[in-house]
Amino acid sequence: MNSDLRKKIVTIIKNSGEGHIPSSFSIIDILDYIYGNVLRQKKKDLKKIDRNYFVLSKGHAAAAFFVVLSKYGFITNKELMTYGKKYSNLGGHPDMTKVPGVEASTGSLGHGFPTSVGIAMGLKIRGNNNNNVYCLVGDGECHEGTIWESANIAANNKLNNLIVIVDRNKSAQQLMPIENMEKKWNAFGWKTFICNGHSKKSLDQTFKKIKKNFYKSPICIIANTIKGKGVSFIEGHGPWHHKIPNDVEFDTILKELNDKK
Amino acid sequence: MIKNSFIHKKQNFETGLRKQFASTMIEVGKIDKRLIVIVADISHGILQPFNKMFPGRYYNIGICEPSIVNMCAGLSKMGFIPVVHTITPFLIERSLEQIKLDFSYQKLPLNLISVGGTYDYSKLGCSHHSYSDLASLKHFENINLFVPGSSKELHYQFINNYNRSQINYFRLTEFPHNYNFQYTKLIKEQPIQVEKGKNLTICVLGNKLQNCLELTSKLKKYKVTSDLFYINKLKPINLKKIKDSVNNTKKLIVIEEISPYGGLYEDCLKIIHSINNLDTLHISVNTFIRDYGSYNDLTEISGLSSKKILKKVLKFLNVN
Repeated sequence: MNSDLRKKIVTIIKNSGEGHIPSSFSIIDILDYIYGNVLRQKKKDLKKIDRNYFVLSKGHAAAAFFVVLSKYGFITNKELMTYGKKYSNLGGHPDMTKVPGVEASTGSLGHGFPTSVGIAMGLKIRGNNNNNVYCLVGDGECHEGTIWESANIAANNKLNNLIVIVDRNKSAQQLMPIENMEKKWNAFGWKTFICNGHSKKSLDQTFKKIKKNFYKSPICIIANTIKGKGVSFIEGHGPWHHKIPNDVEFDTILKELNDKK
Repeated sequence: MIKNSFIHKKQNFETGLRKQFASTMIEVGKIDKRLIVIVADISHGILQPFNKMFPGRYYNIGICEPSIVNMCAGLSKMGFIPVVHTITPFLIERSLEQIKLDFSYQKLPLNLISVGGTYDYSKLGCSHHSYSDLASLKHFENINLFVPGSSKELHYQFINNYNRSQINYFRLTEFPHNYNFQYTKLIKEQPIQVEKGKNLTICVLGNKLQNCLELTSKLKKYKVTSDLFYINKLKPINLKKIKDSVNNTKKLIVIEEISPYGGLYEDCLKIIHSINNLDTLHISVNTFIRDYGSYNDLTEISGLSSKKILKKVLKFLNVN
């Protein structure tokens, strides 16, 4: 669990008065792992068409995305600090026309994943068998019909260069529970794995297994996570979904994160 | 834009716009490898020649229109030129958010080709009708709205625009007009003046030109002559010629087989509203048509048959 990245997330959200802290905390370790260990991409690589792609489909976790894009040199720290401010390129949901590294402007759920299917299909049409498309969706986002329509399209077209990571932070559970998530993706013709989305070791084992083996179908990684992971009173599905901390709460959050370092 | 030698190549045009679409895809497919044709289980048969000629560039994905449109944003990002084709209400109204967010906001190019606008699928009922597709798309940035009334128009509109970095919507009618425009008129003139007159300005959208030609012919018996303007591209649009004409005639009639909201009439009003002593008549589809029958039956019910149009126009002109 990365406390420093979480501190950055809560800082930019506090400064701007906009953001989804718990959703950002649930995916931050996955994002950090993908950018640090899987994509291995630099800003200058974005000009190439034949490369790996990452799409954040659950766009409301944009603060986590921007913090990671800053860590890996796609945007500057100075730009990161403009998050949510007037005329900033960075806002509550990512805009691909403004931010390098953002491959799809997401926010309305169920859009980033079909775009990923199109990118993966595009790579196949180009005859590219070396690169992959990684897409992170929320388990609540899996309520959207386009997720399952696109899952069907990807399986039918044998897009084995497409890897979707489901952030299973149990958002769906409190609304319209999706039981047997693994069986559902399997039933749609995907090869499915389960891992701990906050454990580098678990993520590493899963991605290494995928890399080592050849699969004919697209791949789904169900990453078990905790919404708000890292700060005791934010964890879970309470009022913190879109809440901005006051000064006292902000200090408490930072203290708790510092204690966990 | 495709080079001129291709544009001026002699063409044999198909009788129907859907068949022309299939032929045009082959012609463009030959010279542009980026063209990818995607359908939602329609026109599959007529696109087989394209499929056979260009393996891997044709996909009959399935019946999931929003995801198909959304997926094309990924193909577009990868440098391909996607063409998505299915029935109007499912391609446009069902996929409206995908067109808005994934293409208009993201500034990605896309070609949408629909069949069955308004009540072309008359016998299938109102689930397959669409009156407001053009109005819904009109607000979007970076979009061209084409309403070709003939196969020739579709062909030239497509080859001149398909590879521009914007959204192109081609609304194919199943009931084309029979007027054969010269190539230069189609490309250079918008709106196209079809007839010149003194008493009346008539603007017509797409396939309703056929009815308007019948109308102007009959009006001559009442010693009424008209400036008749034909429009087959709703956005962007330049209506200066209309304003000049209405300045003289003081009478404007707009005939369009779509919703009364957000169409050609509103565009005309924006440009002519300051003209004094102005009279206007708008003939459009004023309400949902819930009936079944032939296309001609539904034009009669909606008041857009030649007979009904003439009756409304004579009343408007106070001519007996």
